[in-house]
Amino acid sequence: MAAYIANMMVLLGIAIILASSLDLMVGYAGIFSVAHAVFYGVGAYTAAHVALGYTHSFLIATLAAMAVSGAVSFILAVPVLRVREEYFVVASIGFQIVASTIFTSWNSVTGGMGGLTGVPTARLLGWQMASPVDYMILTALCVAFVLTVIALLVHSPFGRALKAFRDDETAAIALGKDPLVLRVAATTLSGALAAIAGSIYAFYIAFVNPESFTLDYSVLLLAMVIIGGAGSMAGPIIGAVFITLFPALLTFMNIPSQIIGPVQQIIYGGAIVLLMVFWPDGIASVWKLMRGRRSPRATAAARALPSDRAG
Amino acid sequence: MTAELEIDSLCKAFGGNLIINNATLELEEGRITSLVGPNGAGKTTLFNLITGFLRPDAGGIRYRGHDLVGLAPQRVTRLGIARSFQNLRLFNNMTVYENVLVSLENSLRLWRRKDGRDHARTQAVLERVGLWEQRRVRAADLSYAEKKFLNLARIMAVGTELFLLDEPASGLDGPSRVMFHELLRSLQKDGHTILLIEHNLDIVREVSDRIAFLNKGEVAAFGTPEQIFADEELTRIYFGVSAQ
Repeated sequence: MAAYIANMMVLLGIAIILASSLDLMVGYAGIFSVAHAVFYGVGAYTAAHVALGYTHSFLIATLAAMAVSGAVSFILAVPVLRVREEYFVVASIGFQIVASTIFTSWNSVTGGMGGLTGVPTARLLGWQMASPVDYMILTALCVAFVLTVIALLVHSPFGRALKAFRDDETAAIALGKDPLVLRVAATTLSGALAAIAGSIYAFYIAFVNPESFTLDYSVLLLAMVIIGGAGSMAGPIIGAVFITLFPALLTFMNIPSQIIGPVQQIIYGGAIVLLMVFWPDGIASVWKLMRGRRSPRATAAARALPSDRAG
Repeated sequence: MTAELEIDSLCKAFGGNLIINNATLELEEGRITSLVGPNGAGKTTLFNLITGFLRPDAGGIRYRGHDLVGLAPQRVTRLGIARSFQNLRLFNNMTVYENVLVSLENSLRLWRRKDGRDHARTQAVLERVGLWEQRRVRAADLSYAEKKFLNLARIMAVGTELFLLDEPASGLDGPSRVMFHELLRSLQKDGHTILLIEHNLDIVREVSDRIAFLNKGEVAAFGTPEQIFADEELTRIYFGVSAQ
């Protein structure tokens, strides 16, 4: 049971890193990407190559993965971010399809459909990972690192400028902010952070193949961000918990084994539809709403102002 | 006085309609110039052309020796020209403080400045427009007049030399209008140049050193307020009164 829970926690941690790094693009930079699994995959393949060919060091493999994935996302961002946002969504789907094909077909680098096997267990500063619990602790450390980096970023001048673009792009440009530079930087950072999840995955599963980095998974990652609530620290975490753990919870329901698969999918899909109908701003917005009702401090200052409001 | 901005034979058409038609105008450094004219005269289009949001079909725009044609809006702003919008376009989910701070800080910094310079500049700008006390209020929760002053504060914060203000005083009550005038005058005293679009002719008369009268995309007249207001033909065009 401990191994099962540890396994779930590792997968959940990976999902949190991916959803939170994607939210840097979606929630803060206003870039709707359906290609985030590519950066996850590039990170996983790079870490696997470093581990197989050079060193078992998780730190070195992860830094290499971040560098390569950051470079790939930069290469994607520079030409593609020039197009308008709805076109970017389509372009990102194209990028995901191209990347999936490369993952599947570039046998000498990715191992094709067979993937890269025999990735050794990770070592971090002399600590050799031996069990799922070790990986759970490693993943928790990585989640804490990624969330800290994102929290620092969104409260930095860079993050504030992204939020300004999210609020009003024209005004931000008129104040001298360069949309392309900021969005390319956000995409590159997002890709680099996603690679951390790829590195954990490669070492933990010890096997990397294209089936984990598909368009389906990219869509699921976007769903995590939207369901949880884009543009907040809590939103992607809540979304990742929901998407990762909800199917696992359904397995505990007493459903006949012949129909458990379709029933799970219907409940799961139906729950997502209902969430979006009733809480379109994501689950995190409900918490904000309740907090706002309980504590009117946020609007107290506004109420104290002169009464010449414009309606 | 030297010309800070030179607009030369500027033309811009949309779908075959000439919106800016051979417009020529020079703004002198340190002066407040009002751009007036009937609706559809091309006033906001001229702002869009100067600030790089539109590219002219013909003609030139020079600012302190720099050719502005073809420059991206953010580049124009960095040269020292910034504009406001009729519909304000504040960052509504950010506080008053953040609206100004984000305008003046280097957006590529991944960490906050430790020397407190950005904070000091933000405080100075907000105190100047009378919004320091409201610094923690979300921009969306401000009164209309306060929003107008915050809009001006953001432009001041980016280090603007030439202010292009699109109806900055519309909808202001009496005391706010007085404060707005004082602010414009103090900006002028600091050596800034201001071009403003304004429909309220009382305000135009009160604040302007020069008036440019735009009609059907061309600068039909340019002069002091006394000269412009004395011209009956311009009054006829402005108020749409048919000639008898």
